[in-house]
Amino acid sequence: MKGTWEKVKAWFPVAVVLGAFVWSAVAIVTYRQKGAPPGAKVVRFGHWQLEASVREAIDQLGKKYSELHPDVVIVQDPIPDGIYGQWASTQLMGGTAPDIMQVGALLPDSVWLSYYNRYFVPLGRSVNAVNPHNAGTALADLPLRQTYKDGMKTGYVNELQDYYSVAFSIFGCRLFYNKDLLRELTGRDEAPRTYREFLEVCRTIAAKDHPSGQKYVPIASSGYHFGMMWDPLMFDPLTFGAVRRVDFNRDGFAGNDELFVAIRTGRMQFDHPAYRAKFEVMRQVSDHFQTGWTGLGRDEAVFLFAQRKAVFIGAASWDALSLLQQARGTFEVGLMDFPIPGPDDPEFGAVAEGPCYESTGAGFRFGVTRFSKHPDIALDFLLFLASQKHNEELNKIIGWIPAIVGTQADPILAAFEPHLEGVYGALPATLGGETTVAWNQLVSSYQVGKIDFPTLAAKYTEVYREKGLTDFLEQQRDWRRGMAQAEQFLAGIRSRALAGTGDQSESQWVKYRALTAQRQVWGEVNHSRQMKLIEQGLEPAQAGPYEYSPAVLEKVKARLRAEAVPSRPAAR
Amino acid sequence: MSASSRIAAVLVVALALVAGAETNESTTASTPLEQGWAAYRLSEFDRSIGFFEQAAAASPTNSEAQYQARYGLATTWCLRRPGEDRERARAIFEGILAGTPSDDLKAWVRLALARMRHLVPVGEEPDMAAVRMAYQDLIDQHPGHVAAKEAFIYKMSTLIATLKEPETRYAVACLSRYVSQPGQKEFVQPAWSLMAVGYTTLKDPQNRLLAEIRSLQTTEIDPTNPYNEFGWAYWNIATIAEFECGDFATARAYYNKLLKDYPTDIKVYATKQALKRLDEVEAKLRAEIRAQAPAAPAAPAKPARTTRSAGRAS
Repeated sequence: MKGTWEKVKAWFPVAVVLGAFVWSAVAIVTYRQKGAPPGAKVVRFGHWQLEASVREAIDQLGKKYSELHPDVVIVQDPIPDGIYGQWASTQLMGGTAPDIMQVGALLPDSVWLSYYNRYFVPLGRSVNAVNPHNAGTALADLPLRQTYKDGMKTGYVNELQDYYSVAFSIFGCRLFYNKDLLRELTGRDEAPRTYREFLEVCRTIAAKDHPSGQKYVPIASSGYHFGMMWDPLMFDPLTFGAVRRVDFNRDGFAGNDELFVAIRTGRMQFDHPAYRAKFEVMRQVSDHFQTGWTGLGRDEAVFLFAQRKAVFIGAASWDALSLLQQARGTFEVGLMDFPIPGPDDPEFGAVAEGPCYESTGAGFRFGVTRFSKHPDIALDFLLFLASQKHNEELNKIIGWIPAIVGTQADPILAAFEPHLEGVYGALPATLGGETTVAWNQLVSSYQVGKIDFPTLAAKYTEVYREKGLTDFLEQQRDWRRGMAQAEQFLAGIRSRALAGTGDQSESQWVKYRALTAQRQVWGEVNHSRQMKLIEQGLEPAQAGPYEYSPAVLEKVKARLRAEAVPSRPAAR
Repeated sequence: MSASSRIAAVLVVALALVAGAETNESTTASTPLEQGWAAYRLSEFDRSIGFFEQAAAASPTNSEAQYQARYGLATTWCLRRPGEDRERARAIFEGILAGTPSDDLKAWVRLALARMRHLVPVGEEPDMAAVRMAYQDLIDQHPGHVAAKEAFIYKMSTLIATLKEPETRYAVACLSRYVSQPGQKEFVQPAWSLMAVGYTTLKDPQNRLLAEIRSLQTTEIDPTNPYNEFGWAYWNIATIAEFECGDFATARAYYNKLLKDYPTDIKVYATKQALKRLDEVEAKLRAEIRAQAPAAPAAPAKPARTTRSAGRAS
């Protein structure tokens, strides 16, 4: 008896572990069999969107698909985003991943890249073919990628030279406001249309007392809102004009090496009007954020807005429905664009050139895993969701913006239509570790009002000039490592080309040559050019990147003179 | 049973369950050689080495199949990170060359050895003279082979990268001969691009512009994957034409092409600004030309005309 008891004690932990494993295996198997009639082809759809509207939308569209294919059942695996990364990894490595999985977030990009390579089905063939679920529409004859507002850019994995996911929605950020509170505090029925009107409205709101005894907060904000919305969409675009001073290679963007040369040679300063405008507008707007906003998270700002203590809040389109639901029955929500100063602004008009450019890159992306027992059905269901009619329906239920051309979104989301023509930031202020630390410290001090902009510009210029070159050279040290990585990658592409046959081989060779040309030919050339720019600067009389040299102007004049000479009629 | 034995038992069960999971890339490949490359592409270098060794052992001695397996093995030892063994890789590559592999494989092995000379570890500097000699040796031994053409492009890039006039002139002349060869199709686009950089060093904007346009025109397009974006190339050509060459016609053509082909490109705003700028600059210069034009000389006095008497028979 004693011996038996000892044996039980010794093996008890092992029995518990094995028992837990058996129980969970049974639970998973029975869960997976739920809702699937015998003999049905079950397609599992894994994602992290726990919002009720998303699950409802997938459910409804899944049922519609089953009406077309009665032997197919779509079953969701909704997983909390907090554990989705671990779940995805264990499912993929364990070979038990669902047929369709949401991809592109909650794990580092490099991890998703290796997962695409190993575990997901490349979709290039389908992307370049018509979507059969668009039959009878204006998109019927277009290849799938041309039916997308963004040309399916986000589904393309450059490292692997193929498409690995299908996206369903477009996202954007705008300013939400409490219509009732706006009317109550300012008498306005409409949102402010200009930057000056917006500031005036904020000042009016800030002067009013909340029943709690504190003042109303014009704008609920946080570190999250600043980084995700205010800075990229309203403050940074004001720096665009700097491109014309520092874009020496004329690629349309300001590189940090170019800014460094411009600052060192005196062609540019950190207190340039375009840079000053960004920080002045940042001060003028953030003065109307709640106190201590830099240390607050997203939810604290949302709470302030939901409690009717703040009038404005920045929010993304994926938040739109939940904000509307929180406000339902309490107050009416309106949407407006970020009120960036325009060219006619009395203070910043000289540098404010327009709205921020917004890329249409689609999100809410899904791939087909190689473990799928029904990959054709899984892919077909994705095409179904990406068809014009059903993509519109999917997004209507969820409350998001469709990704497909010619679709309609909920009218309240009209304000989220992206600005496809606009400006972008041109202040790549840091060069490496030391300059990054200094910049972040000074900007934080500025944000809380400890220093003014002239002080920020002067102090940072000092650090930048002293430490910038060291920082830049430190980053350049490893440039050869990039070439070694590219060589490793290209050897894999070449192995496919060497083993390929027929048309496949030709395609693989073209890919190989194109990638070699893009990635391996330019390493040394670019490094040399950057180092020359940094070490030697510009030639003394060199015209600015977007200025005409006297020689070029003379050439143009000569052409215009020649054009102005009337041609004599030919002699008879 | 001891605690360690019980732990071992649990681990054995767990490992047995996990061992069933295989990466799909390797299960679709059938031969050890294919499996070796499949594992390489998945960055599973230990497995790829195992497969290549298996393939080499299973092949007849000095057969092409064995050389191919050893080529894969050397490539893995050379390029794997971490765990690279360049000396082992070099020895295997040289061993292949000492044997009787196909001419095609010899070319790729020579390229690999030349690249090893070129892509030295971080902290070292390559002996560029030796690097160029290695590329030239490959070009001389395998004229017309695609590996030789790749080597040619690398050799030229090292010369262009010096940013020095004599080396650049030489490289531009070689590249010019290369792109002029009838039927040339591989690596023509990077050849033209390198020439464009060379002409920048040589301060020849007109030829730079021509080279950039030819580079765009000769870009290879994958027949099964036509997703290519040239908005950046149109902008590049247009700005060179405008600011380096004063060729406003070409500038306008490519700015307009960008607007038409890529209407949602990030540079659309700047492109519209550019087109306005061209008009404004031309208007300003025309006004200057008019203001500078010499005053027209006074017209000579016309001789007096005799007129008929007014009365006409009614």
